[in-house]
Amino acid sequence: MKNTNQLKRIISKFFVYVLLIIFAIFMMGPFLWLISVSLMPGKNIFAFPPAILPTFIDFKNYLEVWEYMDFLKYIWNTVIITFLGVTLSLLFSALTAYPLAIFKFKGRNFIFLLLVSTMIIPAAAALVVNYLTINSMGLINTFTGVVLPTLVSVFNVFLFRQAFMGIPTDIRDSGKMDGASEFRIWGQLMMPMIKPAVAVVGLFEFMANWNSFLWPIIVLNTEKYPLASALSFLNGQFSYNFGWIAAGTVISVLPIIFVFLFTQKYYMEGISGAVKG
Amino acid sequence: MGKKRTVGFSRFSEVQTAWLFMAPGLLLLALFTFWPIIFSLPLAFTNYSVIGETSFVGLDNFKRAFSDVDFIASIKNSLLYMIIVPFIQIISILMAILVNQKIAGIKFFRTAYYIPVVTSMVAVAIIWGWLMSSNGVLNYLLMSVGLLDEKINWLSDKDTALWALMFITLWKGLGYYMMIYLAGLQAVPTDCIEAAKIDGASNFQIIRKIILPLLKPYVFFCTLISLMAAIRVFDEVFVLTSGGPGNSTLTSSVYIYQQGFEQFEFGYSSALGLIVSFIIMFFSIFIFVFNRKGGVNPY
Repeated sequence: MKNTNQLKRIISKFFVYVLLIIFAIFMMGPFLWLISVSLMPGKNIFAFPPAILPTFIDFKNYLEVWEYMDFLKYIWNTVIITFLGVTLSLLFSALTAYPLAIFKFKGRNFIFLLLVSTMIIPAAAALVVNYLTINSMGLINTFTGVVLPTLVSVFNVFLFRQAFMGIPTDIRDSGKMDGASEFRIWGQLMMPMIKPAVAVVGLFEFMANWNSFLWPIIVLNTEKYPLASALSFLNGQFSYNFGWIAAGTVISVLPIIFVFLFTQKYYMEGISGAVKG
Repeated sequence: MGKKRTVGFSRFSEVQTAWLFMAPGLLLLALFTFWPIIFSLPLAFTNYSVIGETSFVGLDNFKRAFSDVDFIASIKNSLLYMIIVPFIQIISILMAILVNQKIAGIKFFRTAYYIPVVTSMVAVAIIWGWLMSSNGVLNYLLMSVGLLDEKINWLSDKDTALWALMFITLWKGLGYYMMIYLAGLQAVPTDCIEAAKIDGASNFQIIRKIILPLLKPYVFFCTLISLMAAIRVFDEVFVLTSGGPGNSTLTSSVYIYQQGFEQFEFGYSSALGLIVSFIIMFFSIFIFVFNRKGGVNPY
Protein backbone atom coordinates (compact mmCIF):
# COMPACT_ATOMS: atom_id res chain seq x y z
CA MET A 1 0.00 0.00 0.00
CA LYS A 2 2.70 2.43 1.04
CA ASN A 3 4.85 1.53 -1.92
CA THR A 4 2.14 2.02 -4.55
CA ASN A 5 1.30 5.41 -3.05
CA GLN A 6 4.89 6.46 -3.20
CA LEU A 7 5.18 5.26 -6.80
CA LYS A 8 2.03 7.18 -7.66
CA ARG A 9 3.50 10.32 -6.17
CA ILE A 10 6.76 9.94 -8.09
CA ILE A 11 4.91 9.39 -11.37
CA SER A 12 2.67 12.39 -10.87
CA LYS A 13 5.69 14.52 -9.96
CA PHE A 14 7.45 13.35 -13.10
CA PHE A 15 4.36 14.23 -15.13
CA VAL A 16 4.27 17.71 -13.57
CA TYR A 17 7.91 18.34 -14.44
CA VAL A 18 7.37 17.20 -18.02
CA LEU A 19 4.49 19.67 -18.38
CA LEU A 20 6.54 22.44 -16.74
CA ILE A 21 9.41 21.86 -19.14
CA ILE A 22 7.14 21.76 -22.21
CA PHE A 23 5.70 25.14 -21.24
CA ALA A 24 9.18 26.48 -20.48
CA ILE A 25 10.38 25.53 -23.96
CA PHE A 26 7.28 27.13 -25.45
CA MET A 27 7.80 30.39 -23.55
CA MET A 28 11.60 30.60 -23.59
CA GLY A 29 12.46 28.81 -26.84
CA PRO A 30 12.18 31.89 -29.06
CA PHE A 31 14.58 33.81 -26.79
CA LEU A 32 17.11 30.99 -26.65
CA TRP A 33 17.02 30.80 -30.43
CA LEU A 34 17.51 34.58 -30.63
CA ILE A 35 20.63 34.30 -28.49
CA SER A 36 21.78 31.46 -30.70
CA VAL A 37 21.31 33.59 -33.85
CA SER A 38 23.17 36.49 -32.27
CA LEU A 39 26.19 34.22 -31.75
CA MET A 40 26.29 32.91 -35.34
CA PRO A 41 28.34 35.35 -37.42
CA GLY A 42 27.54 35.59 -41.10
CA LYS A 43 24.82 32.94 -41.01
CA ASN A 44 21.68 33.37 -42.99
CA ILE A 45 18.84 32.48 -40.65
CA PHE A 46 16.55 31.98 -43.61
CA ALA A 47 18.60 29.13 -45.04
CA PHE A 48 16.45 26.01 -45.05
CA PRO A 49 16.67 23.96 -42.89
CA PRO A 50 17.31 26.92 -40.58
CA ALA A 51 20.35 27.03 -38.33
CA ILE A 52 19.09 26.51 -34.81
CA LEU A 53 22.28 26.00 -32.81
CA PRO A 54 25.52 27.87 -33.51
CA THR A 55 28.41 25.65 -34.57
CA PHE A 56 30.83 27.98 -32.80
CA ILE A 57 30.29 30.96 -30.54
CA ASP A 58 31.38 34.41 -31.65
CA PHE A 59 30.57 37.81 -30.15
CA LYS A 60 31.42 39.69 -33.36
CA ASN A 61 27.79 40.69 -33.95
CA TYR A 62 27.64 42.30 -30.53
CA LEU A 63 30.84 44.29 -31.03
CA GLU A 64 29.81 45.48 -34.49
CA VAL A 65 26.25 46.46 -33.68
CA TRP A 66 27.35 48.13 -30.44
CA GLU A 67 29.75 50.30 -32.41
CA TYR A 68 27.34 51.00 -35.26
CA MET A 69 24.30 51.84 -33.16
CA ASP A 70 25.86 53.88 -30.36
CA PHE A 71 23.88 51.81 -27.90
CA LEU A 72 25.15 53.78 -24.90
CA LYS A 73 23.28 56.83 -26.16
CA TYR A 74 20.03 54.92 -26.59
CA ILE A 75 20.43 53.18 -23.24
CA TRP A 76 21.02 56.57 -21.62
CA ASN A 77 17.90 58.00 -23.30
CA THR A 78 15.90 55.01 -22.08
CA VAL A 79 17.29 55.34 -18.56
CA ILE A 80 16.26 59.01 -18.37
CA ILE A 81 12.78 58.33 -19.74
CA THR A 82 12.31 55.33 -17.44
CA PHE A 83 13.63 57.15 -14.36
CA LEU A 84 11.33 60.13 -14.94
CA GLY A 85 8.40 57.90 -15.77
CA VAL A 86 8.72 55.56 -12.80
CA THR A 87 9.46 58.07 -10.03
CA LEU A 88 6.92 60.67 -11.08
CA SER A 89 4.14 58.20 -11.76
CA LEU A 90 4.70 56.50 -8.40
CA LEU A 91 4.53 59.89 -6.70
CA PHE A 92 1.50 61.27 -8.51
CA SER A 93 -0.50 58.04 -8.54
CA ALA A 94 0.08 57.42 -4.84
CA LEU A 95 -0.81 61.02 -3.98
CA THR A 96 -4.02 60.80 -6.00
CA ALA A 97 -5.03 57.44 -4.57
CA TYR A 98 -4.47 58.31 -0.92
CA PRO A 99 -7.48 60.61 -0.32
CA LEU A 100 -9.67 58.34 -2.45
CA ALA A 101 -8.93 55.49 -0.06
CA ILE A 102 -8.71 57.21 3.31
CA PHE A 103 -10.59 60.51 3.34
CA LYS A 104 -14.28 61.12 3.48
CA PHE A 105 -15.15 64.13 1.40
CA LYS A 106 -17.80 65.36 -0.96
CA GLY A 107 -17.18 64.44 -4.57
CA ARG A 108 -15.14 61.36 -3.71
CA ASN A 109 -17.59 59.00 -5.34
CA PHE A 110 -17.92 61.28 -8.34
CA ILE A 111 -14.16 61.29 -8.92
CA PHE A 112 -14.05 57.57 -8.50
CA LEU A 113 -16.81 57.11 -11.09
CA LEU A 114 -15.01 59.46 -13.45
CA LEU A 115 -11.85 57.38 -13.15
CA VAL A 116 -13.72 54.12 -13.74
CA SER A 117 -15.30 55.52 -16.88
CA THR A 118 -11.89 56.10 -18.46
CA MET A 119 -11.17 52.40 -18.15
CA ILE A 120 -14.15 51.70 -20.35
CA ILE A 121 -13.38 54.33 -22.97
CA PRO A 122 -10.21 53.44 -24.85
CA ALA A 123 -7.41 55.84 -25.62
CA ALA A 124 -7.39 54.85 -29.30
CA ALA A 125 -7.95 58.36 -30.56
CA ALA A 126 -6.08 60.00 -27.68
CA LEU A 127 -2.84 59.73 -29.60
CA VAL A 128 -3.75 62.49 -32.06
CA VAL A 129 -5.09 64.89 -29.43
CA ASN A 130 -2.15 64.22 -27.11
CA TYR A 131 0.21 65.01 -29.94
CA LEU A 132 -1.55 68.34 -30.47
CA THR A 133 -1.42 69.06 -26.72
CA ILE A 134 2.28 68.21 -26.39
CA ASN A 135 2.96 70.26 -29.51
CA SER A 136 1.13 73.32 -28.18
CA MET A 137 3.08 73.01 -24.90
CA GLY A 138 6.29 73.20 -26.90
CA LEU A 139 7.41 69.78 -25.67
CA ILE A 140 8.05 68.08 -29.01
CA ASN A 141 11.45 66.36 -29.00
CA THR A 142 11.75 66.50 -25.20
CA PHE A 143 11.80 63.64 -22.71
CA THR A 144 9.18 65.51 -20.69
CA GLY A 145 6.90 65.31 -23.71
CA VAL A 146 7.41 61.54 -23.85
CA VAL A 147 6.75 60.95 -20.18
CA LEU A 148 3.99 63.43 -19.35
CA PRO A 149 0.93 61.77 -20.98
CA THR A 150 1.55 58.41 -19.30
CA LEU A 151 2.40 59.62 -15.79
CA VAL A 152 -0.94 59.02 -14.13
CA SER A 153 -2.85 55.94 -15.15
CA VAL A 154 -6.20 55.08 -13.65
CA PHE A 155 -4.97 51.52 -13.26
CA ASN A 156 -2.14 52.59 -10.96
CA VAL A 157 -4.43 54.86 -8.94
CA PHE A 158 -6.70 51.85 -8.35
CA LEU A 159 -3.84 49.62 -7.30
CA PHE A 160 -2.67 52.18 -4.77
CA ARG A 161 -6.17 52.90 -3.55
CA GLN A 162 -6.71 49.21 -2.90
CA ALA A 163 -3.43 49.03 -0.98
CA PHE A 164 -4.15 52.11 1.14
CA MET A 165 -7.58 50.73 2.01
CA GLY A 166 -5.91 47.71 3.57
CA ILE A 167 -4.11 49.80 6.18
CA PRO A 168 -5.82 49.96 9.59
CA THR A 169 -7.18 53.44 10.44
CA ASP A 170 -5.39 53.40 13.82
CA ILE A 171 -2.12 54.06 12.02
CA ARG A 172 -3.28 57.36 10.63
CA ASP A 173 -4.88 58.30 13.94
CA SER A 174 -1.70 57.59 15.84
CA GLY A 175 0.23 59.71 13.37
CA LYS A 176 -2.19 62.54 13.99
CA MET A 177 -1.88 62.13 17.74
CA ASP A 178 1.84 62.61 17.38
CA GLY A 179 1.13 65.79 15.48
CA ALA A 180 2.34 64.71 12.07
CA SER A 181 1.02 66.57 9.05
CA GLU A 182 -1.11 64.66 6.57
CA PHE A 183 1.74 64.78 4.07
CA ARG A 184 4.13 63.23 6.59
CA ILE A 185 1.59 60.58 7.51
CA TRP A 186 1.32 59.73 3.83
CA GLY A 187 5.05 59.72 3.17
CA GLN A 188 6.48 58.24 6.37
CA LEU A 189 3.70 56.02 7.72
CA MET A 190 1.54 54.96 4.80
CA MET A 191 3.97 54.59 1.90
CA PRO A 192 6.30 52.19 3.76
CA MET A 193 3.27 50.02 4.53
CA ILE A 194 2.28 49.56 0.91
CA LYS A 195 5.72 48.54 -0.35
CA PRO A 196 4.36 45.55 -2.31
CA ALA A 197 2.00 47.82 -4.25
CA VAL A 198 4.84 50.25 -4.86
CA ALA A 199 6.91 47.35 -6.19
CA VAL A 200 4.18 46.23 -8.58
CA VAL A 201 3.37 49.69 -9.90
CA GLY A 202 7.07 50.46 -10.09
CA LEU A 203 7.78 47.34 -12.10
CA PHE A 204 4.79 47.84 -14.41
CA GLU A 205 5.84 51.42 -15.02
CA PHE A 206 9.44 50.36 -15.52
CA MET A 207 8.34 47.87 -18.16
CA ALA A 208 5.98 50.30 -19.86
CA ASN A 209 8.56 53.08 -20.06
CA TRP A 210 11.51 50.89 -20.94
CA ASN A 211 9.59 49.18 -23.74
CA SER A 212 7.56 52.07 -25.14
CA PHE A 213 8.35 52.76 -28.75
CA LEU A 214 5.39 54.28 -30.59
CA TRP A 215 4.85 57.47 -28.61
CA PRO A 216 8.61 58.21 -28.51
CA ILE A 217 8.74 57.79 -32.31
CA ILE A 218 5.92 60.32 -32.65
CA VAL A 219 7.37 62.86 -30.21
CA LEU A 220 11.16 62.50 -30.56
CA ASN A 221 13.82 62.85 -33.23
CA THR A 222 15.96 59.81 -34.01
CA GLU A 223 18.89 60.78 -31.80
CA LYS A 224 16.66 60.94 -28.73
CA TYR A 225 15.01 57.55 -29.33
CA PRO A 226 14.84 55.07 -26.48
CA LEU A 227 16.02 51.49 -27.04
CA ALA A 228 12.79 49.96 -28.33
CA SER A 229 12.26 52.75 -30.87
CA ALA A 230 15.89 52.53 -31.96
CA LEU A 231 15.53 48.78 -32.30
CA SER A 232 12.53 49.07 -34.60
CA PHE A 233 14.56 51.60 -36.59
CA LEU A 234 17.50 49.19 -36.80
CA ASN A 235 15.19 46.41 -37.87
CA GLY A 236 13.85 48.56 -40.70
CA GLN A 237 17.32 49.65 -41.84
CA PHE A 238 19.18 46.35 -41.68
CA SER A 239 16.53 43.73 -42.21
CA TYR A 240 19.14 41.60 -44.03
CA ASN A 241 21.79 41.67 -41.29
CA PHE A 242 20.22 39.15 -38.93
CA GLY A 243 23.19 38.75 -36.61
CA TRP A 244 23.26 42.47 -35.90
CA ILE A 245 19.56 42.73 -35.27
CA ALA A 246 19.62 39.64 -33.07
CA ALA A 247 22.52 41.03 -31.04
CA GLY A 248 20.81 44.43 -30.80
CA THR A 249 17.61 42.77 -29.65
CA VAL A 250 19.43 40.80 -26.97
CA ILE A 251 21.17 43.98 -25.76
CA SER A 252 17.84 45.80 -25.54
CA VAL A 253 16.11 42.96 -23.69
CA LEU A 254 18.78 42.11 -21.11
CA PRO A 255 18.49 45.19 -18.83
CA ILE A 256 14.77 44.78 -18.26
CA ILE A 257 15.14 41.06 -17.60
CA PHE A 258 17.79 41.80 -14.97
CA VAL A 259 15.57 44.37 -13.30
CA PHE A 260 12.74 41.86 -13.27
CA LEU A 261 14.92 39.11 -11.78
CA PHE A 262 15.99 41.37 -8.92
CA THR A 263 12.50 42.64 -8.11
CA GLN A 264 10.34 39.59 -8.70
CA LYS A 265 10.19 38.48 -5.06
CA TYR A 266 8.29 41.66 -4.14
CA TYR A 267 6.23 41.32 -7.21
CA MET A 268 4.22 38.22 -6.35
CA GLU A 269 3.37 39.59 -2.93
CA GLY A 270 2.26 42.84 -4.53
CA ILE A 271 -0.06 41.22 -7.05
CA SER A 272 -1.73 39.14 -4.34
CA GLY A 273 -2.39 42.34 -2.39
CA ALA A 274 -3.57 44.26 -5.42
CA VAL A 275 -6.15 41.90 -6.87
CA LYS A 276 -8.87 41.27 -4.38
CA GLY A 277 -12.10 39.57 -5.30
CA MET B 1 -11.84 60.57 13.12
CA GLY B 2 -12.80 63.22 15.62
CA LYS B 3 -9.33 64.59 16.18
CA LYS B 4 -9.07 67.51 13.83
CA ARG B 5 -6.23 69.27 15.60
CA THR B 6 -3.13 68.60 13.53
CA VAL B 7 0.05 70.48 12.85
CA GLY B 8 1.34 71.52 9.43
CA PHE B 9 -1.62 70.88 7.21
CA SER B 10 -3.96 72.07 9.95
CA ARG B 11 -4.49 75.25 7.97
CA PHE B 12 -6.42 73.11 5.54
CA SER B 13 -9.60 71.21 6.16
CA GLU B 14 -9.81 67.53 5.30
CA VAL B 15 -11.55 68.33 2.02
CA GLN B 16 -8.91 70.85 1.02
CA THR B 17 -6.12 68.45 1.91
CA ALA B 18 -7.76 65.79 -0.22
CA TRP B 19 -7.85 68.07 -3.23
CA LEU B 20 -4.28 69.19 -2.63
CA PHE B 21 -3.15 65.58 -2.71
CA MET B 22 -5.09 64.80 -5.84
CA ALA B 23 -4.34 68.02 -7.73
CA PRO B 24 -1.24 66.99 -9.71
CA GLY B 25 -2.66 63.61 -10.66
CA LEU B 26 -6.08 64.91 -11.61
CA LEU B 27 -4.52 67.72 -13.63
CA LEU B 28 -2.49 65.24 -15.67
CA LEU B 29 -5.47 62.94 -16.08
CA ALA B 30 -7.61 65.87 -17.18
CA LEU B 31 -5.06 66.96 -19.75
CA PHE B 32 -4.08 63.61 -21.26
CA THR B 33 -7.02 61.30 -20.56
CA PHE B 34 -10.18 63.40 -20.30
CA TRP B 35 -9.25 66.15 -22.73
CA PRO B 36 -8.66 63.74 -25.66
CA ILE B 37 -12.07 62.19 -25.04
CA ILE B 38 -13.77 65.60 -24.82
CA PHE B 39 -11.85 67.17 -27.67
CA SER B 40 -12.26 64.29 -30.09
CA LEU B 41 -16.01 64.77 -29.91
CA PRO B 42 -16.18 68.13 -31.74
CA LEU B 43 -13.19 67.12 -33.85
CA ALA B 44 -15.14 64.14 -35.17
CA PHE B 45 -17.64 66.51 -36.79
CA THR B 46 -15.00 68.48 -38.69
CA ASN B 47 -12.66 67.78 -41.58
CA TYR B 48 -9.65 68.92 -39.52
CA SER B 49 -6.44 67.85 -41.22
CA VAL B 50 -2.99 69.19 -41.88
CA ILE B 51 -3.94 70.64 -45.24
CA GLY B 52 -6.90 72.92 -45.95
CA GLU B 53 -9.19 74.87 -43.71
CA THR B 54 -11.18 73.24 -40.99
CA SER B 55 -14.92 73.31 -41.29
CA PHE B 56 -17.91 71.66 -39.70
CA VAL B 57 -19.00 68.66 -41.77
CA GLY B 58 -21.78 67.27 -39.60
CA LEU B 59 -22.15 63.51 -39.76
CA ASP B 60 -20.04 63.13 -42.90
CA ASN B 61 -17.18 61.37 -41.09
CA PHE B 62 -19.55 58.83 -39.58
CA LYS B 63 -21.31 58.22 -42.89
CA ARG B 64 -17.93 57.79 -44.52
CA ALA B 65 -16.86 55.34 -41.79
CA PHE B 66 -19.80 53.04 -42.33
CA SER B 67 -19.14 52.85 -46.06
CA ASP B 68 -15.37 52.61 -45.63
CA VAL B 69 -14.45 49.05 -46.61
CA ASP B 70 -11.14 49.21 -44.75
CA PHE B 71 -12.73 50.46 -41.56
CA ILE B 72 -15.39 47.76 -41.61
CA ALA B 73 -12.69 45.17 -42.24
CA SER B 74 -10.70 46.59 -39.32
CA ILE B 75 -13.69 46.30 -36.99
CA LYS B 76 -14.23 42.72 -38.12
CA ASN B 77 -10.57 41.90 -37.46
CA SER B 78 -10.73 43.52 -34.03
CA LEU B 79 -13.81 41.52 -33.11
CA LEU B 80 -12.22 38.35 -34.47
CA TYR B 81 -9.21 39.07 -32.28
CA MET B 82 -11.41 38.52 -29.22
CA ILE B 83 -11.29 34.78 -29.95
CA ILE B 84 -8.02 34.65 -28.02
CA VAL B 85 -9.69 35.77 -24.78
CA PRO B 86 -11.02 32.35 -23.66
CA PHE B 87 -7.79 30.64 -24.74
CA ILE B 88 -5.79 33.08 -22.62
CA GLN B 89 -7.89 32.18 -19.57
CA ILE B 90 -7.70 28.42 -20.07
CA ILE B 91 -3.97 28.23 -20.75
CA SER B 92 -2.94 30.74 -18.11
CA ILE B 93 -5.07 29.06 -15.44
CA LEU B 94 -3.45 25.76 -16.38
CA MET B 95 -0.01 27.38 -16.12
CA ALA B 96 -0.92 28.96 -12.79
CA ILE B 97 -2.03 25.60 -11.36
CA LEU B 98 1.21 24.06 -12.61
CA VAL B 99 3.46 26.66 -10.98
CA ASN B 100 1.43 26.80 -7.76
CA GLN B 101 3.16 23.72 -6.40
CA LYS B 102 5.87 23.63 -3.80
CA ILE B 103 8.47 21.68 -5.74
CA ALA B 104 12.13 22.26 -6.46
CA GLY B 105 12.91 24.80 -9.16
CA ILE B 106 9.38 26.20 -9.37
CA LYS B 107 10.67 29.78 -9.15
CA PHE B 108 12.69 29.21 -12.30
CA PHE B 109 9.57 28.15 -14.20
CA ARG B 110 7.53 31.11 -12.93
CA THR B 111 10.28 33.43 -14.12
CA ALA B 112 10.63 31.68 -17.46
CA TYR B 113 6.90 32.00 -18.15
CA TYR B 114 6.91 35.67 -17.25
CA ILE B 115 9.86 36.77 -19.39
CA PRO B 116 7.81 37.35 -22.59
CA VAL B 117 5.68 39.82 -20.61
CA VAL B 118 8.71 41.83 -19.57
CA THR B 119 10.18 42.01 -23.06
CA SER B 120 9.36 44.84 -25.46
CA MET B 121 6.86 44.19 -28.23
CA VAL B 122 9.47 45.29 -30.78
CA ALA B 123 11.84 42.54 -29.66
CA VAL B 124 9.05 39.97 -29.58
CA ALA B 125 7.90 41.04 -33.03
CA ILE B 126 11.40 40.71 -34.48
CA ILE B 127 11.84 37.20 -33.07
CA TRP B 128 8.44 35.89 -34.15
CA GLY B 129 8.70 37.63 -37.51
CA TRP B 130 11.75 35.47 -38.21
CA LEU B 131 10.36 32.30 -36.67
CA MET B 132 7.20 32.58 -38.76
CA SER B 133 8.77 33.42 -42.12
CA SER B 134 8.47 30.84 -44.87
CA ASN B 135 12.02 29.52 -44.33
CA GLY B 136 11.69 30.00 -40.58
CA VAL B 137 12.06 27.64 -37.68
CA LEU B 138 8.31 27.22 -37.17
CA ASN B 139 7.78 25.77 -40.65
CA TYR B 140 10.84 23.59 -40.23
CA LEU B 141 9.57 22.16 -36.94
CA LEU B 142 6.01 21.64 -38.19
CA MET B 143 7.24 19.98 -41.36
CA SER B 144 9.69 17.69 -39.62
CA VAL B 145 6.93 16.48 -37.29
CA GLY B 146 4.71 16.00 -40.31
CA LEU B 147 2.05 18.52 -39.30
CA LEU B 148 2.69 20.64 -42.38
CA ASP B 149 3.22 19.65 -46.01
CA GLU B 150 4.52 22.86 -47.52
CA LYS B 151 6.01 26.10 -46.24
CA ILE B 152 3.61 28.82 -45.16
CA ASN B 153 4.67 32.45 -44.89
CA TRP B 154 2.52 32.86 -41.79
CA LEU B 155 2.62 36.65 -41.57
CA SER B 156 2.31 37.53 -45.24
CA ASP B 157 -0.32 35.02 -46.24
CA LYS B 158 -3.66 36.74 -45.94
CA ASP B 159 -5.35 33.56 -44.70
CA THR B 160 -2.96 33.04 -41.81
CA ALA B 161 -1.58 36.50 -40.94
CA LEU B 162 -4.27 37.49 -38.45
CA TRP B 163 -4.12 34.10 -36.72
CA ALA B 164 -0.35 34.33 -36.51
CA LEU B 165 -0.63 37.74 -34.84
CA MET B 166 -3.24 36.42 -32.41
CA PHE B 167 -0.88 33.62 -31.51
CA ILE B 168 1.92 36.10 -30.78
CA THR B 169 -0.39 38.24 -28.64
CA LEU B 170 -1.49 35.14 -26.76
CA TRP B 171 2.08 33.95 -26.23
CA LYS B 172 3.25 37.31 -24.93
CA GLY B 173 0.29 37.76 -22.59
CA LEU B 174 0.08 34.31 -20.97
CA GLY B 175 2.62 35.04 -18.24
CA TYR B 176 0.83 38.21 -17.17
CA TYR B 177 -2.48 36.46 -16.64
CA MET B 178 -0.75 33.45 -15.10
CA MET B 179 0.64 35.71 -12.36
CA ILE B 180 -2.80 37.13 -11.57
CA TYR B 181 -4.29 33.62 -11.41
CA LEU B 182 -1.37 32.45 -9.30
CA ALA B 183 -2.12 35.24 -6.84
CA GLY B 184 -5.70 33.98 -6.83
CA LEU B 185 -4.65 30.38 -6.26
CA GLN B 186 -2.45 31.31 -3.34
CA ALA B 187 -5.44 32.95 -1.71
CA VAL B 188 -7.34 29.63 -1.85
CA PRO B 189 -7.41 28.25 1.71
CA THR B 190 -5.26 25.11 1.85
CA ASP B 191 -7.37 23.40 4.52
CA CYS B 192 -10.23 23.42 2.02
CA ILE B 193 -8.16 21.37 -0.39
CA GLU B 194 -6.77 19.13 2.36
CA ALA B 195 -10.29 18.34 3.56
CA ALA B 196 -11.36 17.45 0.03
CA LYS B 197 -8.32 15.20 -0.37
CA ILE B 198 -9.19 13.36 2.86
CA ASP B 199 -12.70 12.88 1.52
CA GLY B 200 -11.13 11.19 -1.48
CA ALA B 201 -11.56 13.85 -4.12
CA SER B 202 -9.40 13.52 -7.23
CA ASN B 203 -7.13 16.30 -8.40
CA PHE B 204 -9.47 17.00 -11.28
CA GLN B 205 -12.44 17.24 -8.92
CA ILE B 206 -10.54 19.60 -6.65
CA ILE B 207 -9.74 21.88 -9.58
CA ARG B 208 -13.29 21.82 -10.91
CA LYS B 209 -15.24 22.01 -7.67
CA ILE B 210 -13.03 24.11 -5.41
CA ILE B 211 -10.34 26.01 -7.25
CA LEU B 212 -12.27 27.25 -10.29
CA PRO B 213 -15.26 28.63 -8.31
CA LEU B 214 -12.86 30.46 -5.98
CA LEU B 215 -11.01 31.85 -8.99
CA LYS B 216 -14.18 33.35 -10.46
CA PRO B 217 -13.45 36.98 -9.57
CA TYR B 218 -10.02 36.62 -11.12
CA VAL B 219 -11.48 35.11 -14.28
CA PHE B 220 -13.80 38.08 -14.52
CA PHE B 221 -10.98 40.54 -14.06
CA CYS B 222 -8.67 38.83 -16.54
CA THR B 223 -11.43 38.42 -19.11
CA LEU B 224 -12.20 42.12 -18.97
CA ILE B 225 -8.55 43.16 -19.20
CA SER B 226 -7.69 40.74 -22.01
CA LEU B 227 -10.84 41.63 -23.94
CA MET B 228 -9.99 45.31 -23.94
CA ALA B 229 -6.40 44.51 -24.84
CA ALA B 230 -7.60 42.37 -27.75
CA ILE B 231 -9.86 45.07 -29.17
CA ARG B 232 -7.18 47.71 -28.76
CA VAL B 233 -4.31 45.58 -30.05
CA PHE B 234 -1.79 47.77 -31.80
CA ASP B 235 1.94 47.22 -31.25
CA GLU B 236 2.38 43.72 -32.67
CA VAL B 237 0.22 44.48 -35.71
CA PHE B 238 1.95 47.80 -36.31
CA VAL B 239 5.46 46.32 -36.15
CA LEU B 240 4.84 43.04 -37.96
CA THR B 241 2.27 43.64 -40.70
CA SER B 242 0.92 47.22 -40.35
CA GLY B 243 -2.43 45.86 -41.42
CA GLY B 244 -1.37 43.92 -44.49
CA PRO B 245 -1.44 41.89 -46.65
CA GLY B 246 -4.40 43.75 -48.10
CA ASN B 247 -6.35 44.65 -45.01
CA SER B 248 -6.30 41.14 -43.59
CA THR B 249 -4.65 42.16 -40.31
CA LEU B 250 -5.89 45.73 -40.18
CA THR B 251 -7.20 46.22 -36.64
CA SER B 252 -9.20 49.25 -35.61
CA SER B 253 -6.39 50.83 -33.59
CA VAL B 254 -3.99 50.51 -36.50
CA TYR B 255 -6.52 52.03 -38.89
CA ILE B 256 -7.21 54.94 -36.52
CA TYR B 257 -3.46 55.48 -36.29
CA GLN B 258 -3.04 55.36 -40.06
CA GLN B 259 -5.82 57.89 -40.64
CA GLY B 260 -4.38 60.20 -38.00
CA PHE B 261 -0.63 59.96 -38.48
CA GLU B 262 -0.20 58.77 -42.07
CA GLN B 263 -3.15 60.43 -43.82
CA PHE B 264 -3.26 63.31 -41.29
CA GLU B 265 -7.05 63.24 -41.31
CA PHE B 266 -7.50 64.14 -37.66
CA GLY B 267 -11.24 64.72 -37.94
CA TYR B 268 -11.94 61.36 -39.54
CA SER B 269 -9.54 59.59 -37.18
CA SER B 270 -11.39 61.06 -34.18
CA ALA B 271 -14.72 59.88 -35.53
CA LEU B 272 -13.33 56.37 -35.93
CA GLY B 273 -12.00 56.52 -32.39
CA LEU B 274 -15.44 57.42 -31.08
CA ILE B 275 -17.10 54.56 -32.93
CA VAL B 276 -14.57 52.07 -31.56
CA SER B 277 -15.02 53.54 -28.07
CA PHE B 278 -18.71 52.80 -28.25
CA ILE B 279 -18.06 49.24 -29.34
CA ILE B 280 -15.68 48.69 -26.42
CA MET B 281 -18.15 50.32 -24.04
CA PHE B 282 -20.82 47.95 -25.25
CA PHE B 283 -18.69 44.88 -24.55
CA SER B 284 -17.57 46.15 -21.16
CA ILE B 285 -21.14 46.79 -20.05
CA PHE B 286 -22.09 43.37 -21.38
CA ILE B 287 -19.40 41.71 -19.26
CA PHE B 288 -20.31 43.76 -16.19
CA VAL B 289 -23.98 42.82 -16.48
CA PHE B 290 -23.06 39.22 -17.21
CA ASN B 291 -21.00 39.06 -14.01
CA ARG B 292 -23.25 41.09 -11.75
CA LYS B 293 -24.46 37.96 -10.01
CA GLY B 294 -21.04 37.35 -8.50
CA GLY B 295 -20.94 40.91 -7.19
CA VAL B 296 -17.31 41.14 -8.16
CA ASN B 297 -15.27 44.27 -7.63
CA PRO B 298 -11.93 44.23 -9.40
CA TYR B 299 -9.92 46.94 -7.66
